[in-house]
Amino acid sequence: MLDIGAFRAKTCAGISRRSFLQVAGSAPLAMGLSGGHLSAAPSRRAKSVIFVFLWGAPSHLDTCDPKPNAPAEYRGPFGVIPTRTAGVFFTEMIPRIASRSDRFSLIRTHATTAPGHPDGGTLALTGFPEFPTPVQPNFGSIISKTRGHHENLPPFFSITSGMLADGGRRIEGYGGGLLSESHDPFLVGCSANGEVKLAGLGLLDELNPLRIQDRRQLVAQLDTAARRADHEAERAWSRNMKSSYDLLLDAAGRQAFDLTRETIKTRARYGHTTFGQSSLLARRLVEAGVPYVQLNYSRHPEAMNPGFELGWDTHIYNFELLQDQHCPTLDRAFSALLDDLYDRGLIDDTLVVMMGEFGRTPRISANSARDHWPPCYFSIWAGGGVQPGRVIGSSDRLGEYPLGDIVSPLMVGTTIAHLAGIDTQARAEMNVLTGGKVIDALL
Amino acid sequence: MRCSKDVLIFHCVWLLMASTASADEPLRLTRDGRQKSSPVFRNRGQEVVYVDFADRSLFQLRKLVIADGSNEKLHAESAAAEFEPTWSGDGECYSYLKLRGVLSISIVVRDKQGTILNEIMPGGGFNGYRSPALSPDHSRLVFSYGERGAQQIYSAKLNGEERRTLSESAGINNWPSYSPDGQSIVFGSSRDGNFEIYCMKADGSNTRRLTENPFQDIRPRFSPDGRRIAFTSHRDGNAEIYVMNKDGSELRRITDNDERDDYAEWHPDGQQLVIVSERGGEHDLYMVKLDTAH
Repeated sequence: MLDIGAFRAKTCAGISRRSFLQVAGSAPLAMGLSGGHLSAAPSRRAKSVIFVFLWGAPSHLDTCDPKPNAPAEYRGPFGVIPTRTAGVFFTEMIPRIASRSDRFSLIRTHATTAPGHPDGGTLALTGFPEFPTPVQPNFGSIISKTRGHHENLPPFFSITSGMLADGGRRIEGYGGGLLSESHDPFLVGCSANGEVKLAGLGLLDELNPLRIQDRRQLVAQLDTAARRADHEAERAWSRNMKSSYDLLLDAAGRQAFDLTRETIKTRARYGHTTFGQSSLLARRLVEAGVPYVQLNYSRHPEAMNPGFELGWDTHIYNFELLQDQHCPTLDRAFSALLDDLYDRGLIDDTLVVMMGEFGRTPRISANSARDHWPPCYFSIWAGGGVQPGRVIGSSDRLGEYPLGDIVSPLMVGTTIAHLAGIDTQARAEMNVLTGGKVIDALL
Repeated sequence: MRCSKDVLIFHCVWLLMASTASADEPLRLTRDGRQKSSPVFRNRGQEVVYVDFADRSLFQLRKLVIADGSNEKLHAESAAAEFEPTWSGDGECYSYLKLRGVLSISIVVRDKQGTILNEIMPGGGFNGYRSPALSPDHSRLVFSYGERGAQQIYSAKLNGEERRTLSESAGINNWPSYSPDGQSIVFGSSRDGNFEIYCMKADGSNTRRLTENPFQDIRPRFSPDGRRIAFTSHRDGNAEIYVMNKDGSELRRITDNDERDDYAEWHPDGQQLVIVSERGGEHDLYMVKLDTAH
């Protein structure tokens, strides 16, 4: 455990309260690269990528691909509403996103081969299966290797309360994989009230990161913490110290985490939920120059599991959770994120991709919910060189299978890399995304 | 007599709390902004029990005393996620849902002292009950449960025995709630395409549709005198609270807020509702007076 300090901050209501800034030691931190950076192509459009990962897998029929004319055992209970894209309807669960369809493009023909969360998650985040290990790198790790640090900010952040896991099993595709752990994401958590926590470590109450002026003082404190750490933490310490240290000493880096610098109105737009404030943090990181942010809806996929965050894996309570929790939260936060990126002129340089690891059964299950469905699901793409307002492909009348060509996870990663300026040659030099094709219909 | 005295005390507290608020503004009862759901009154309207999303992995039941604003966990000893509380009309019993394990949710019934009377276990595997509601005399409870691809309303004794199927339709049937005399049950159903409000006799017969619009109408609740029904509707673009007569007539919109208003529950005086309202991105409990509502 390595604790890096605490600071007081004001809530949006102006009330002083205690907030914490903790720097990860057990969490993998991206180090400065030791040469070998691959330069991005001049045609680079997306300076940053926000990959919104709906871990657990949302139902496509109950969100962006409704089938109102399907039999009752398929269509679900939600009404449909028009979007700003002619002839395209979403369910009434996501009205704000629907009213912004002219700001993004929608793919309805995704398919994957992995039926479970660990394997599906790895495939969704890397484009490749979870075996053999080490796995292919997370899309963010490829960006990390290409771009390197921006000033003192790591190039790849994953916003989560901890390492993504299905039950106790870590998702293999979380990080650098074959590109090495130096391209693992920097894990950062954010609570519903905007407290930002750099995962995994405790706290040095006496240290105030927002007021760090004396480098020697910080070093002394960090050394003390390191001596207290157990062997495993010490190894993590060695690997991570430089990034943590640089990040804390860098005023701009620290400020990127301070959501209280936002106006009350801006924070409210995103909603005071964990995902809402995490989405705002993602925008701040992009604004600070971070090239890749994986914005996770939850740490765990499960929807109802004691001690676990609520994910999108709705084997029971699908309609209740979508109606009461997930859709209102997502609708508010994601629409605010799009608006904010537009309003700040960041959207042209920021690619936003939102998707789960697969879809959910079009036929309602015996438990009156929906189970895993790899053959058909959706994604949303905005900014960063994507042409907005398009709908790419369609599913069949029951939402069971794509009509026409499918879009694979590998194509997702390849397109992200392409839009981030990592061309075919650069990908080949890194030996990543081999065989991947760009989704031309988005461009 | 005791009841009217309590109501008088409540109105004095209300006047005191509302003195700084506009007359037609809902009165904010909580200020933590955390996500909440399912508020219910107890103790003749002096307390509200509701579900608080303490963090993203835990729902817990909390009790708010309106007079002094004190707020505490209802079951201090419980580490399990608990939600969807409901009280019997006579105040003798209450029930709620409990997360037992991975995707497994039971119904717990307690007496008014908090002693656990029964825990009704779900079936094996991924399984769970929804929306329990106790009859006014606490002789039976109704709930929603998914089986064989449909979600029906069931009635059972408080120990889960003598289960009867009250609804038999396609789609999702949910949010059952007894009328004060125990003779009727109002509920939501998607049997006709999307969620609408329906009413049936307590034995499941004579089902009547009360609402009809292309957007969802959900979570109906009878007023204390049994003459009106409050519910949530998305018909005007987002979740708002509406009240109608028990036959579906004289529909009236109660809230008008750009954000979400949901989970209406009647105060025992029949003149006010407690709701969960999202304002400025924060979720709190509010009291809405019907005579000054939108």
